Amino acid sequence: MRLALALGTVLVCALVPSHAAAQSAPPAKVAGSVERIFGPGARTDTVRVDSVSVLRISRAGALLGFAQVRNVKGKDQPITYLVAIDPTDHLKDIDILVYREPHGGEVAYEPWRKQFRGKTAAGPLEVGQDIRNISGATISSHSVTRGVRRALDSLTAWHASGRLK
Amino acid sequence: MLSPFVRLAAIVILVLSPLTPLAGRLAAQSDDDTEERTTVGGYGEVQYLNASGADTPGEVNVRRFVVYLAHTFSQKLTFRGELELEDALIAGGEEGGEVALEQAYLDYQLSPAFTLRTGLVLPPIGIINETHEPPTFNGVERPAFDQFVIPSTWREIGVGATGAIPGSVGLSYRVYVVNGLRAEGFSGANGIRGGRQEGREASFTNPSLTGRLEWTRPGFQVGGSFWYGGSANKNPALGTGAFDNSVALVSADARYDNGPVSLRGVFANLSIADAEAINTLYGGQVGSRIAGGYVEGAYNLLSVVARKSRQRLDAFARYEHFNTQAGVPTAVTRDETLARRIATVGLTYKPVYNVVFKGDYRIRRNQAGLGEDEVIGLGVGYQF
Repeated sequence: MRLALALGTVLVCALVPSHAAAQSAPPAKVAGSVERIFGPGARTDTVRVDSVSVLRISRAGALLGFAQVRNVKGKDQPITYLVAIDPTDHLKDIDILVYREPHGGEVAYEPWRKQFRGKTAAGPLEVGQDIRNISGATISSHSVTRGVRRALDSLTAWHASGRLK
Repeated sequence: MLSPFVRLAAIVILVLSPLTPLAGRLAAQSDDDTEERTTVGGYGEVQYLNASGADTPGEVNVRRFVVYLAHTFSQKLTFRGELELEDALIAGGEEGGEVALEQAYLDYQLSPAFTLRTGLVLPPIGIINETHEPPTFNGVERPAFDQFVIPSTWREIGVGATGAIPGSVGLSYRVYVVNGLRAEGFSGANGIRGGRQEGREASFTNPSLTGRLEWTRPGFQVGGSFWYGGSANKNPALGTGAFDNSVALVSADARYDNGPVSLRGVFANLSIADAEAINTLYGGQVGSRIAGGYVEGAYNLLSVVARKSRQRLDAFARYEHFNTQAGVPTAVTRDETLARRIATVGLTYKPVYNVVFKGDYRIRRNQAGLGEDEVIGLGVGYQF
């Protein structure tokens, strides 16, 4: 009984999040997204760069890539998304983890997301150039695209400087 | 009553938790989506217009200044509203200017497929009525079609739903029951525009149904919209039934936006079943059918001369063709000036996607060849 109580306390303590993100995605969504992008059985470690959490994905000791969860503002709600790169700094995929507005949810669909695959920090990653707009969701399309560009820039720079390895 | 060892273990786990992968995943768990938050946005446009002709000096005007306010009460419940000031100034005893609620509704998001929407809403018809922020369209002024055929910004009070069709990729809908139009405001020249109630002590004797189904792909959207409802407003001469003096509108639109090329087009057909009775009662020249549309194409010139630029300079051309008396009841003689053809060419410069500088030249013609003119326009606009 005492042991169960103690274990319970430990568990509760471990579950209390130490860093409350401004907006967040359920952990199962993040895990599901990593599995979808990198395949099942991959190991996810959280590393910190400049107080930013980055997910390091590996399998059997081999690096598969990095991922970051971020937020941008849509028309009136935050959009929580994940950007994943491979070890050669090419964008592997993005995921819209939480889309909170009633319109423009098409940015979460495969046809829109797949436009980002293979991109590098060299860009352009710009709506109207290599990324197509979602009609009626102009702000969401531009915000997410700009957010992905920034994430890709950061991850690439950190990786190049050896702060991510 | 924890043993010192267990307490120590708990502290160690707490301290180390940010470093562990488990905690990394859990850090994303804190769900402050339940927190209230308020967002302010807005859009606006300032215009210079100069029509050809003797008594039409150039005019500058703060056409619109709109404040958008959204408040999220909980993960599911959000209020959204837009307050609009038209023409900059409202002064006592003077004509002109307008302060109006453009939208004010509560969204109850039950699932991606179903958001319950209640309040002053925009009938989801055509392109401009719902998406009218200046950086989203070419030309200093909105297309005339979106004034005379689809009376933008058209808003009425009602209840309905919006969402994505489950199982589809990119199919979404909106459907509302709203207050109806009032036939006494209809006219030959302005169609149903004067019949809108705009949320002001609106009569609900003629509930109307409006909706839209759209299919969205990256860079492409095609949509179909409708409006159906009575307009008699319980006037015994027109009928006291809910759907008496019906107005039926169908519309189709498409938008294509890929790299430097953008294309869009809208078509609408509106039938007023008892136009003759309306004219008999109110002495107007209301048409029994209002129809028309426009097509527009644009090309980003910077994609040729400055490939690396993130800015846009679109050259565009639009052709509008519509008639608010496409059909007339037997007692009405067609006014040929209402069969309008408008060609617009111009430039749209966007230093960033949500700020726009516009210049255009409009050639306004009609079937009768009377009162035709050309208009030069300049404008700036923004949205955020």
